[in-house]
Amino acid sequence: MNSHDLTCVHTGTVIEEDSLTLGQLCRACDVHADWIISIVEESIIEPQGENIRLWRFSGKCLLRARSALRLQRDLGVNLAGIALALDLMEELENLRAQMKTLGHS
Amino acid sequence: MQYKDYYKIMGLSRDATQDEIKRAYRKLARKYHPDVSKEKDAEAKFKELGEAYEVLKDPEKRAAYNQLGADWKAGQDFRPPPNWNEGFEFKGGGFTGGDAGAFSDFFEQLFGRAGFGGADRGQYGFHARGQDSHAKIYIDLEDSFNGATRNISLSTPEMNAQGQVQVKHRSLNIKIPKGIKPGQHIRLAGQGSPGSGKGEAGDLFLEIAFNNHPLYRVSETDVYLDLPVTPWEAALGAKVKVPTPEGPVDLKIPPNSKQGGKLRLTGRGLPGQKPGDFYVVLQIALPPATSGQAKALYEKMHQELDFNPRQALGV
Repeated sequence: MNSHDLTCVHTGTVIEEDSLTLGQLCRACDVHADWIISIVEESIIEPQGENIRLWRFSGKCLLRARSALRLQRDLGVNLAGIALALDLMEELENLRAQMKTLGHS
Repeated sequence: MQYKDYYKIMGLSRDATQDEIKRAYRKLARKYHPDVSKEKDAEAKFKELGEAYEVLKDPEKRAAYNQLGADWKAGQDFRPPPNWNEGFEFKGGGFTGGDAGAFSDFFEQLFGRAGFGGADRGQYGFHARGQDSHAKIYIDLEDSFNGATRNISLSTPEMNAQGQVQVKHRSLNIKIPKGIKPGQHIRLAGQGSPGSGKGEAGDLFLEIAFNNHPLYRVSETDVYLDLPVTPWEAALGAKVKVPTPEGPVDLKIPPNSKQGGKLRLTGRGLPGQKPGDFYVVLQIALPPATSGQAKALYEKMHQELDFNPRQALGV
């Protein structure tokens, strides 16, 4: 590493609710658009925007899509099963966070 | 190199049937899948399990592994005996599916680095864009309040010209923007895997998580603080100093406040276009009745206050 690297500070962009295009999400997950479309159809992730050209995805969509991909690949879960699993896990997360807020952790 | 007991990893005896192996894998994969499991070492366990299954599900690999003998103990220093794999044809062959790059030295020594045919993705064509990479980083609550620059270290497996996987370590200075929330992502263009040929590099996605804070808890954009108060402060009302991430503030506790009561300081949560709120949760602390004076005061309350906290229980 040279001294330039030590002083260089990288400024990124924060992904907001409507930051990622379909193409960007595909690249971020390393999948084809067809697969993203199929998980939108299963309402595993919900983009903003009326049609596919206007679709915009949030950071949460990115997390869910990547989880879905791993569940499909590692456990052989089908899309309906993935949707159910992710929703239940999210509920569990929320309950855990609530417990923490109440000081029961 | 350490010997790995694949049967022990899967919780099976050496004479398990192929069906039992499959069932054990399914069950343990659900238990240790990093997306599902909350166990700390889930990811390592899941990888180990994948490796064990890779060997045991394949009758040929399993037979070769069995041939090493049952006397080895997990973790024991191991060197494969000469010609141990005589008569088996998988060495360097295409039998290994999955992400062989993630398997242990022990596995590679025995079965080679097979399965790499598909691993040079991103190198097809001449000008392919590099893959996007992902990492999770932990920051402090104060970093979100003030904005910060954090140095993060990343390790990425990369393939060298000989097709070997090497873990590359690098560190980056990252600007943490003010008001970032847990679960949000920062995208750094061009900081993912390098492209091949003239292809541009992929992006790096950083998922933000917060370290546990000794005082505060964060929920979305709201920040919570447990504030100990005396019984008389809660009962009579008081003005007390309260710490916030932006420095101490004076807080008015209204009379007749209850245990667990929440007081809101609007807009003093995580900063942003729509800043969150700061909540003070009252925790009434009882003075210990250790001195004669304290005992006398409690006794006086007992005599003079008509108070039954168990009224609602009907007793």
